[in-house]
Amino acid sequence: MEITHKRFNRVDLLALKGRLDATTSPQLKQEIEKLFADGRYRLVIDASGLEYVSSPGLRVLIEARKRAREWKITDLEGGDVRIANLPPRIKEVFDLTGFTSLFDLFDDTTEAVGSF
Amino acid sequence: MEILTLTANLDALAYVSAFITAGAERSGLDERATWQVQLAVDEAATNIVQHAYAGTEPGTFTITWEVQDNRFIVTLRDHGRSFDPQEVPTPDIMSPLEERQVGGLGIYLMTRLMDEVRFDFDPQEGNFLTMVKYITAPTRDDVVVMPLSGRVDAVTSPRISAEVRDHIASGARYLLLDMSEVNFLSSSGLRALLLIRKELMTEGGELRLCSLQEQVYDVFVLTGFTQVFAIHATQDEAIAAFGQGRA
Repeated sequence: MEITHKRFNRVDLLALKGRLDATTSPQLKQEIEKLFADGRYRLVIDASGLEYVSSPGLRVLIEARKRAREWKITDLEGGDVRIANLPPRIKEVFDLTGFTSLFDLFDDTTEAVGSF
Repeated sequence: MEILTLTANLDALAYVSAFITAGAERSGLDERATWQVQLAVDEAATNIVQHAYAGTEPGTFTITWEVQDNRFIVTLRDHGRSFDPQEVPTPDIMSPLEERQVGGLGIYLMTRLMDEVRFDFDPQEGNFLTMVKYITAPTRDDVVVMPLSGRVDAVTSPRISAEVRDHIASGARYLLLDMSEVNFLSSSGLRALLLIRKELMTEGGELRLCSLQEQVYDVFVLTGFTQVFAIHATQDEAIAAFGQGRA
């Protein structure tokens, strides 16, 4: 899997390309841990290049969102992990596992970045 | 039966996916079912790689696939610690983020993606997982199946032709006449079928016939029209043949 990182003022964008499975999910976990360690808790995942996701990948995403949401500036403002551009097959896995309602999903990255 | 044995480490997962994807495709599973099988098997193999030999040197596991009737059967066997699916809580997929448990998703996905999932454990044989995906003929909505019955002759053929024209008028191009209940075909009936075939071909369509009784099939043989009509043994075979250029 290829992860491209783009830093905005307030938000970090991680674009994923390839397969997010048992082999590659530690790579994403590490990338997210690095951002958290820097105090960067507002993340957008661009999933448009994602070809495949299995449960270890889902696990990294849910753990990341739980962690990010613990970080708060005010009651209304704080950290989050938001996801943009889910390809149909990945969306299907989200639907099967109830992940669709666990995340704020966006149709494009600009909208997702701007939502913070 | 195709068999693959691998050492239970992360590198094995790519081989497992390639092995099972090729198997599913060769067995006639469609693209979507192949993807579902690949994900279910990847989840099963991931469980073995991550848990079966935890804390010890990784052992091996064996994956097989075969087709029996319309069942694509995958098995995975390992000799690691016994696995009891009852110990894994089923995730509550309706629960909100804060209460959401992160485990158990793999097994849950397996049961949702496959038609049958069974775990067995034997002290000698180890863990034995069997998963089945049913192979279904691809559904298509572009074939109109018209069952005929009784006699197809000068009396009944005008009604049959009229019904066919209605289908053509409402856009049907692939027409299958199921003849299983037809017990008599006269020369007038045969002429009507020829005209139907011609009309469909003019519209860029196809006519196929299936499930002919012996005495009806004999009419086609005696007149040499087995060379003209596309005649199939079963409905499924006929439906699959539309659009393949052999009408």
